[in-house]
Parts: sequence; structure tokens; C-alpha cells
Amino acid sequence: MKGGLLLKGEVLLKKCGVFLNRGGVLLKGVLLIVGLYLFLKFILPLFTAPLPANLIFLYLALTVAGIVIFATLSSESTEEFFGPIVRFLNGERQTGPMKIARLLVLVLFPLLVGWQTYTSTVPSDMPPAESRTIHPAPPGEFVGLSNPIPNTPENVMMGKGLFAAFCSPCHGANFDGKGPAARGFNPPPANFVDSGTIAQLQESYLFWRIKKGGVGLPIEGMPWKSAMPRWELELPDEWVWKIIMGEYDGAHQKPRTWE
Amino acid sequence: MSEVALLQLIGFIVVGLGVVILLFIQARFIRVVGFVIIVLGTFALIALGIPQMASLPPAEEKFDVATIKTSADMAAIGQKIFFSKGQCALCHSIGPSESARCPDLKGIGAKLTREFIYESLTQPQAYIYLDYRHGGPPKQYPARMPHINKNPIGLSNNEILSVIAFLQQMSGEPITVSPSEIMQPTAAATAVAQAR
Amino acid sequence: MTYYGGHRGRSAGVRRGRTWSIAALLFLIGQLGIPLLGLAQDAASTAATVAYRDIPQLGGSRNIIWVIAQQHLLLAGFVLGVPIFAWVCEIVGVRTGDKRYDKLAKEFTKLLTSAYATTALFGGILLFMLLGFYPKLMAYLTDIFFPSFVVYCALFLLETVTLYLYWYGWDVMQGGGRKGLHLFLGFLLNVFAFFIMIIPNSWATFQASPVVVAEGSALARAWAATWNPTWWPVNVHRLIANVVLGGFICGAYAGMRYLSANTHEERVHYDWMGYVGNFIGVFGMLPLPFAGYWLMREVYQYNQQMGITLMGGFLSWLFILQAMLIGVLFLGANYYFWLGITHRIEGSEVKYRRPIMAMLVILLLCLGVWMTPHSLVASLEEARRMGGTHHPLLGVFGVMSAKMTVVNIMILVTFMSFIIYWRAGKVETATWAKVAQKVMAGVLGLAAIVVIVLGVWGYFVPAIVRINYFSVVQVLIVLFVLVTITPLTGLLMKSARTTTEMIWGRMPPRAGYALVLNAVMVILLMTLMGYARSSSRVHWHVYGVMRDSSQYAFSPALGYAAAFMSLNTFVFCLLVAFIFWVATMGDKTKTMEPETKKKLPAGAYPAMAGGSPTLDDRNKQ
Repeated sequence: MKGGLLLKGEVLLKKCGVFLNRGGVLLKGVLLIVGLYLFLKFILPLFTAPLPANLIFLYLALTVAGIVIFATLSSESTEEFFGPIVRFLNGERQTGPMKIARLLVLVLFPLLVGWQTYTSTVPSDMPPAESRTIHPAPPGEFVGLSNPIPNTPENVMMGKGLFAAFCSPCHGANFDGKGPAARGFNPPPANFVDSGTIAQLQESYLFWRIKKGGVGLPIEGMPWKSAMPRWELELPDEWVWKIIMGEYDGAHQKPRTWE
Repeated sequence: MSEVALLQLIGFIVVGLGVVILLFIQARFIRVVGFVIIVLGTFALIALGIPQMASLPPAEEKFDVATIKTSADMAAIGQKIFFSKGQCALCHSIGPSESARCPDLKGIGAKLTREFIYESLTQPQAYIYLDYRHGGPPKQYPARMPHINKNPIGLSNNEILSVIAFLQQMSGEPITVSPSEIMQPTAAATAVAQAR
Repeated sequence: MTYYGGHRGRSAGVRRGRTWSIAALLFLIGQLGIPLLGLAQDAASTAATVAYRDIPQLGGSRNIIWVIAQQHLLLAGFVLGVPIFAWVCEIVGVRTGDKRYDKLAKEFTKLLTSAYATTALFGGILLFMLLGFYPKLMAYLTDIFFPSFVVYCALFLLETVTLYLYWYGWDVMQGGGRKGLHLFLGFLLNVFAFFIMIIPNSWATFQASPVVVAEGSALARAWAATWNPTWWPVNVHRLIANVVLGGFICGAYAGMRYLSANTHEERVHYDWMGYVGNFIGVFGMLPLPFAGYWLMREVYQYNQQMGITLMGGFLSWLFILQAMLIGVLFLGANYYFWLGITHRIEGSEVKYRRPIMAMLVILLLCLGVWMTPHSLVASLEEARRMGGTHHPLLGVFGVMSAKMTVVNIMILVTFMSFIIYWRAGKVETATWAKVAQKVMAGVLGLAAIVVIVLGVWGYFVPAIVRINYFSVVQVLIVLFVLVTITPLTGLLMKSARTTTEMIWGRMPPRAGYALVLNAVMVILLMTLMGYARSSSRVHWHVYGVMRDSSQYAFSPALGYAAAFMSLNTFVFCLLVAFIFWVATMGDKTKTMEPETKKKLPAGAYPAMAGGSPTLDDRNKQ
């Protein structure tokens, strides 16, 4: 997936680069920006989940920086790039539509800034954007524990059985986070098959998450921002360790180790 | 006005000031200052643009004699001490661990008597195992364990007893330390003074 | 002003109405009593009750310490970084006989004397403030580290003497054997400076990664505490970063002077000086990610909780900001190289337009990956559409494997920018030049491919294999490229014929601004990472050992912290500008002495000179 996107981006940027070489730096730059925006906003979501707005902004900002850097490398291209903008804003010897366009820009731009400021400060019923840290730091007593249960087929089987009984309603019988009760939860239950979840974590981390649940999350994970129950009230430690083994085995992942 | 909004306002004013300087002032030094404040203001505005989150310290654990009713209370306090003031977890782990520097304490409460643990904490060099591993005559292997009842860690007698209660409870043993052994504050203070 | 110990300072704000002059007076009186409190450990009954003091009227103890400590640290970084490259410049000057280097080294050593005094001044203020605000913590640290305090003081005496000899003896020790003595003094200066840096590092790293300090003699205890797990990683990281800081500040100073230069000679000189500063900064920057990587590894190994707090937890967004700053720095450094190619070497613009664009595109793609956060900021609606804050596709870019890969590629690109700059306007005459070129292109291409392959492969192996083998191999490959191509190009250039001479003093003003931008980025990065280092201890003075029970135990949010970082950076820039201004005030009256230069073959000028200076002479006439 990653290679495909990189390739696409490269091809796109290269094509635009060929355009850029043929002069008209400003125009081609604007075209590149618009094209990239349309690609990120409308074409990319056809293949994968849509990007959040601030990420699109980040990529566009990078592209703008690149265009400005390339355009200002030599004096000639700088003049070619900024000249039209400066002349347009100066308004010297302008007639007809250009004159009106300049006036419009000079009037509308402050209005745009004002509108932007207004919309960003006006009270809205939208909840604020969140930066939820998915894997916050565990408390000290859970750091460095290792699984005391021997990794035998019987124990793994028992762990899978316990998983089916307690965890699969949300995390799914296939360990993919798509259990029958998963819909409606925000954030959704973790998908253990994804290499970004339990494969990144140690067994002791899972032990903490299962025992303390969503309530036990620290501030950066936003307490109460997970519907995970506090299993320490119902399951003995030994079962929890077995469930962890079952999860890793069932999801075909390996726990992270440090040495 | 919230703190974030106030800082954002300041940020915008600073950036605006920088833009005005770059537009209208010719003096080189002031122009560079204008450029720098635009950069710094933009940086602060970006940082203010992400959701703000301060990390608050957890509530502080106090060793309060009055709250202790049962041995389990002592063990609960002992666990807190084990992971904070006692600094035990700097070296020891409970259960096998990759990062531990010193012996694993899993099941230690079942292996050792209460008196032996107490002695290990307060006089670590009193009983030293002989080291046979490196060939030649067996050598004494001085413990790297510090005196827990002295500075810099300096646990009080009450605290040491609580830690022992925790170690026993963790090993699935009956706790042999009883709350009645906890000394009242005045007595405890003298005990600590003696220990020092 | 009231003293309060161990309690959340409700009473602190009560007497806000009092004029702060009285507060300051009382504070000074309080200061007089502090040494007594610190020493009177036996009479602990009074001393132990005061754990913290505060001046809420001046913004609170933590903010005061924040500003003072940051200024001290930045100045110290500058004061320790500049001697390194002043000394290197002096050696280069002696080796090549090019007086410009000697002049450059001297110019910076002159700044050093006043900067050194300012650093010590801030260090003194910091010490008094720490003693006043944190008596309990300071008593604890003094108890452990007292022997190293003494060593530190002794080193300071030695450093001061050496610095004065080095600076005031510059002109006297020019001829013959005395120059050797002067170089030796420079060497001593750097040795002392290095030890002056690593001793306070041990105090700070002990706070972050304490070891159990057992009974023993005072010396043994201090020694044990000094050798804590993060001490050497921080030493190495800071040493390199100091060189980078010194280089980029040198560049910014040159850029500033270049912008306000009136004569052609000045423009030529400061253009060249800006080039040297940027060169040193960039080359120092290349190994810096590796040093940072080592430091993070040690932190993880010491305490995973702290590691996760930094990289994946509360502070994870800080590293996105860091990535942005580093990204701008990489762009700025490359931009300056490219401006140099197009403006200093006539006719090269058309020739190098396409390679530059290719490098720019690669750099931007890498930056796109580099800056993509692992956990995204998204509104509720966006998060729903994505299915959690984890984007299925971009989550791939957020992990370490991708970051390590792109940062290595960015380093390679920056290195290539430099090589192209070095070779521009020259024709290789050596018989083996064609082969060498092929070999170099092969090495570079192969290295890039292997780095990318390892990066992609890293997704499919356990984390431990990736961290212990793949990342290390990537780093080694890039280092290998650096150490093979640089001497090879050097050899090629030795016999090369110069077709188009470099013309100094023709850079556009934006080059000066780029230099200033790079310096600001480096300073901001240092302030940012200072906050990271301090916040990773969360609510501990000494991690896991001594808890911060003051009202300032919380870690402030990133926006508030960033405002402070900006403020600190700005104050530091002004301080440096002031020091530079004061130190160079006398220069304006002096006239430039005519310089005599030994004629050397074009290639014998080191890479740092960026080519041969023969045309400079023509320009000056």
C-alpha cells in the first residue's frame, strides 16, 4: 500500500515538475497545489479512509514550501514567480478586468481573514478535535512484567477459549475488532490483526490494559475514552495472562520484546 | 478569555507585527528581527493549534497510621512504597523481567521468613552468599543493596513493615505483620532517629 | 512573600498586592539564609520544613528557572561549541596557510570572551535561584554530588585561564613554534570545556535516570551517581549539538552582517563566513539523529515508562513539532547549498536545475512521511469516517520504521547537495575519474536502495529485530557513504581543473535570511528538547526517587510551553546579537589590513572553503 502511494505521488510530482520546467512557474505551481489538493481530498478516499483536514493542510504546506524554494533558486525564476504577483498587487498600468480583479482581491482578502477568524471563534456544537494518544505510558507497577504462564499449546488453547468468552463480543472472533457488539463504540475496539496494535506492545502492557480497562487510562489517553471494562474485577491474573497468549497466537502476532 | 486564546492572540499580534516590519521598514537589523518573530510566532501558533493537554501529577500517597485497619491495608501501602519512595523497583522486578538489575522478588515472601527480609533490608551485608561460579576458592559477593532504613532512601520502620506485608501478600502467603505493630507517630519518630 | 513547604501554595497568591520591590528585598534576605539552611543538616528540624520557595509576583519559580536555565544552557552550548570550530578553523588555517581561517577563528574567539562571562553570569543566577526555590532538592543533590561540585569549580578556573591565554595571546603567538603552543592551548581549552559540559550533565541525567546510591565515601557515591545510564548518550548528543549550534550561529551572524554589508570586501568575507558556518552546522547535524537514537534507546532500556511517555504518550506530539523543525532545518540547509550553486557558480543554474529538483522532490516526499503523526488530530466526524484516530494507510507512516528510513534518506540527500556544490564548476582530470564517479554513484544508489528495502522489510519483522539490527544497519550504511565518498571526492578535486570560479558576495538577501532561519530552528529545537527532557520526568525531581510536591509539579501543555520556547529563543537571539555588537564595536574604526596569501593549487583548499579562492583576489582588485 505504502509503495503504491509513494509511486503515485512521485509520478504526479514528476509530471508536474516537467510542466514547471517549461516556464510559467507561478501558474504551474498553482496548478500543482490545486491538483494535489483534489487528489488528497477526493481521489485518495476512493482507495482508503479519508484524510483529516489538518494532514491535508500539512502536505499542501510542504508542497508550497517546495514550490517557493524551487522558484527562488535563481534571480530570473524569482522574478518570474513573484513578478506577476507584485505587479498585480501594485496595480500599475492596469485596465479593465485586471483593475476590478485587483480591487476585488484587496477587498475580499481582509474579509476572508475576518470570516476565518469569526468561524474559528464562534461557539459551535461540534466537539473539539482530539489528539488521543493510543498507547500512553503504563504506570510503574506494570512495567517490565513478563508472562508467568508457560507458553504451552494447552495454555494457548485455554486463552483462546477465555478470549471467545469474554473478549470476542467486541474484539471479534477473528481478533479483528469486528465483534457483534463493536458497532457504536468510539473509539472502535482494537484490531489485533493490525500490525499497529498488539505487535507494537509488550505483554505487560496488555496486562495493564486488560486489568484496568478504559477507566485506568491516564490523561493523554483520555480517561473514559474507551469502553474497555476493568477486567481485574472479574478475571484472575492467571486468566488474563492466558488470554494475552491466546490473543497473540490467534492474531498471528508476536509481543514486542526489548532484548 | 482562556489562556490558550490569549496566547493565540499574542501570537497573531507578534506575527502581524513581523509582517508589518517586513513590509514597511528598511533597516536591516529590524527586518531580521521581524523575520525572526514571524518564525517564532508561527511556531507557537502551530503548537497552540493542537489540542492542549497538561499532565497532572497523581495524588500523593501519604502514610497515615490512622487509616490502617487490616494487614491488607498495610500491604496496599507497602505496594505503593515498593514502587515509589522505597525505590525497590529501580532494580528489582516482580516476576522475571528483561530489565531488572537485581534478583527477581517473585515469591520472595514464601521463600524467606519475615525476619530474614527485615534483616536483608536493614543490614544487606549481614548474610552474603558465597560465589562459586568463577572458579578458584569461593568468594564473598558483597550485596549492592543499600541500607533501606538509612539515607538516601530512609524508610521508617512502619514503612519497612508495610513493604514486608506487601511482599508476603504478593507471594500468596498469609501476612504475618499485623497492624498492631505499627508504631504511633511519636514512637516511630524516635525509632527513625535511632536508626539514623 | 511567604515561605511554604510541601503544601499546594494557596497562600502564595494571597499577598499579591505587595509591591514586588519589598518581595525582592525579602527574597535577598532569604537568600542570605540559604547556605545556612543547606549546611545545617543536623538541625534538620527547621531546614526540612522549607521544601520550596516561590515568587509568584514574577511568574512563579518554575517559569523563572525555565527562562534562566534555558538561557544558561544555550549560551553554554554556544560557548562550548565555538571553541571547537574556532580551533578547527585555526588548524585549517595553519595547514593551508590561508589567513582567512585564522581571521575567522580569531573573530569568534573574541566573541567567546564576552559570551563566556555572560554564560557564567547566567549560571550564577541559576544557582542562586535553584538554591532559593528548591532547598530540599538542592540539599539532596549536594549530598550526592558535592565532590563533583569541587571538580567543576576547579575546571572553571582552568578554563578561564586557558581562554584568556588563548585569546590575548593570539597575536603574540603567531610565529613559528609559538603557533604550535597556541594550538595546544586551543586543544586544552576544548578538553576543559568538554569536562565542564559533562559534569553538569551528570547532575541532570541523574535526575532523569537515577541509580541507587549506596553507602560509601563521598567520592564513591558521587562517582556511582555520575555513571548513570543516560550520562554518556547525553554527553555525546550535547557535544555534537553544541558544534551544530556554534556553526549555525556563526552562519546567522555572517548572514546578518552580509545583509547589512556596505562594501564589496565585507560582502565577500561574510558570504564566505556564512558558507563555513552552514557547512559546520550541516556536517554536525548529519550524525545527530544517530546520537538521539542512542539516547532514546538508553532511556527505553532504563525505564520503559519514561520512554513511552516521551515517544508514544503525553509528549508524542512534541516529537511531531520536533519533526517539523528538523524538516525546516533540512530544507533551509539544502536551500542555502542550492542558492550557492546557482549564484556563486556562473552558468551552473541550467546544468543543475534538474538534479536540484529531483533532490527537492525526494526531500519533500521524505518530509511528508517524517511529519505524519502516528496518532492524528481529528474532529469527531473525521475520526468516525476514518475508524478511530488511526488512519489505516497513514498509520503506516507514523511508526519508527518509516521515520528511520526517511531520515536516513534525507541525510543522504543533504550530503549529495553538498557533494554537488563541491564539484560544481570543476572538471576532473584524473585518469580514474570516470571509474571513481561510477563507484560513487553506485555506492550512493545502492545505499539508498538498501535503506529503503530495510525500512519496508522492517514492517514484517518483530520490533526487536528492527531496532537492534535493521535500524543499526541503516545508520551504518549512511555513515559508510559519508566516510567513503567524502575522501574520494577530496582526492578527485585535488587534481581537478576549475572551469568556472566561485564568486563570493553575490548571494541574494534571501540567503542571509535562510542562514538566520537555520539558526533560529536549531535554537528552537534545543529549547523544545529541553522541555522534553524536563517533562519526561513528569512529577519527579529525581525520577522515581524524589517527588515534586510543589504546585508546579504538573507538566504544562505544549502550546503554553511553545510560547515559552519562542520567548527563550528570542531573548537568546537578542543576547547573542548584543554580545556580537559589543564585541565588534571596536572593529569599525580599524581598517582592514591587506592580506597576504600563499598561492596553492586550486584543489588543495579544503572542502570547507567550498572551492578555490583565486577569483576572490580578482574580485577584490
